[in-house]
Amino acid sequence: MTGNPFATGSASDAAFTAAAGRFFELLKTFTTAPAAAAGQAPDLSLLGAQLAAQFEQWLKGSAGAGASFAAAAGFPGGSPGWPPGAVPLGPAAAGHGSQAQQAWELLMKLGSLQGELARYWSEIAQDAAQRFTARVGGTGAAGLTSEGALALYETWVQCAEEAYAATVRKDDFCRLQAQLANTATALLLAQRRQADALARAWGLPTREEADALQRQLRELRQQLKERTAAPRPSAPAGKAAPRKAAAKPKAAAKPKAAAKRRHAAPRRARAGRRGRS
Amino acid sequence: MSDPRTGPAGLFADLGTRAAETLARLRLARDVEVGCSARRAVWSEEKTTLYEYLPLAGAPRARRRPLLVCFALVNRPYILDLQPDTSLIRRLLKAGFQVYMVDWGDPDDGDRLRELNDYLEQGLGGCVRHILDAHGIDSLDLMGVCQGGVFSLCYSALHPAQVANLVTLTTAVDFQTPDDLLSKWMRDLDTELLAQAGNVPGDLLNALFLALMPFRLTQQKYVRLLTGGADQRAVEDFVRMERWIFDSPPQAAVALTQFVRWFYQENRLIRGTLELGGRAVDLKSVRAPLLNLYASADHIVPPAASAVMGRLIGSRDYTACAIDTGHIGMYVSRKAREEIPQRIIQWLDAHGSALRPHR
Repeated sequence: MTGNPFATGSASDAAFTAAAGRFFELLKTFTTAPAAAAGQAPDLSLLGAQLAAQFEQWLKGSAGAGASFAAAAGFPGGSPGWPPGAVPLGPAAAGHGSQAQQAWELLMKLGSLQGELARYWSEIAQDAAQRFTARVGGTGAAGLTSEGALALYETWVQCAEEAYAATVRKDDFCRLQAQLANTATALLLAQRRQADALARAWGLPTREEADALQRQLRELRQQLKERTAAPRPSAPAGKAAPRKAAAKPKAAAKPKAAAKRRHAAPRRARAGRRGRS
Repeated sequence: MSDPRTGPAGLFADLGTRAAETLARLRLARDVEVGCSARRAVWSEEKTTLYEYLPLAGAPRARRRPLLVCFALVNRPYILDLQPDTSLIRRLLKAGFQVYMVDWGDPDDGDRLRELNDYLEQGLGGCVRHILDAHGIDSLDLMGVCQGGVFSLCYSALHPAQVANLVTLTTAVDFQTPDDLLSKWMRDLDTELLAQAGNVPGDLLNALFLALMPFRLTQQKYVRLLTGGADQRAVEDFVRMERWIFDSPPQAAVALTQFVRWFYQENRLIRGTLELGGRAVDLKSVRAPLLNLYASADHIVPPAASAVMGRLIGSRDYTACAIDTGHIGMYVSRKAREEIPQRIIQWLDAHGSALRPHR
């Protein structure tokens, strides 16, 4: 998912219509299932193959499953946007040979891991289809009512979740997923180093320098807090002076007005909540 | 003549009509509001804001000890006050509690080095100290939810004198139970690399949570709503819930990776090896009476991850209760509406939440 699909009406409509579209596509597949000849079990192999193919496609592109792993791997189509995609360095970075080589190797490794992941999606899809055809057995689609179709859909979701859970809990799947995330992160950092080298050459501030400044700022804030948290000589009688003296930072006395200002500031997807939780 | 509701054509026509009707109701529900109880900001530091909920008209003005609610970093706290009929906050206000809520805000790039201890001591600690000072008391009642429950346990262990009663909802203490899929996925992440990569967007965490049960969470629930003949009110309830689910703040890089490493990968809380700000966090130091409510069908905090709490804390007064619902159901289901507030209020009443003046 990119952002909050329920922050705007059109995006929310899109989330629902997409779900509805997939649902009807699935129903179409159900209704094409062959009916059993008298006294014989129906051949559900075609239905199973169709379901598996649709399901595998969905797994690869879904925000709920495939795309989150793809995103962790920094691949196009991985929508959540973290780590950020490839840094568009282009030929300007070619001068940094070893860094460029490292980034290239990481990119190749990601491709290979993505290939391994695709095999798991295929395994899950096949497994789900097998579970489904075994469970529905000779239930034909002829004369299917709306409620019957919805019951069939519920069975399909149950089979899909079971197949998915059986695979994604496996140790090798978990390791692969972590490898994908780690490799994608390493690639991002390698590319950042390249970008930093360029920035340094052009006299621009680098990520390293920004981090160093943040650390200094943290230290200064900490020092300020320690100094301002010194015992107050004129703590009012009856108050919990020892406790306050030991712990209360000066910033805790920030004026309420400041807090109110921040509360009123517009924030993403929070419009309409002002003054309420 | 065939029944128009059977056969492919009738089937698609019927379900298509149902979906179109629900979509029309969804369009009307676009601008639905979330959050229902009036509140005011009373303290803030950096991105953290402490809110005080205003008393409800007609509610008893009981002399109760203030109750501070500490929610997770990974979601917004307004889920506890989403709408009047499911609002836990409103039920507490009706019972006469003085309710405060920590809002962690949205970390930006300047917060990427912010540590868990900063959230605990400056954020939660700042809120606690403000309330104690404002009321002239030594201790308050603390309610921690999900990750906020973990923070509340840690805070209670480090500052036992400041917490009179502790309530935890959907709170894990054992992060490596066999049924914890999230934990399995976290196990081999390189947290050093992650910390260097920067803040993690909320959208990514959402995708991760959805990936735990992708078909139910990204398909089935929409299809059920579209085809189930939901009325306008049910559609609006659904949209409020969805808005909350997808409204997740980004996560400060260092704090998030510390949480992943120390809790999920190293399970330090139950191993007794957790240190925050150079101080050991010993659950045996949690001596306040504790009410632990967890969900028996929780896919994010499995029941076993929470149920073990009683064995680990130092309090002799421990009450645990498994609620027959899922993780989100703890906040918005019928149980959330009835059983959970009732249990919390009765338990706090029985544990002397009546306010005693500061010595």
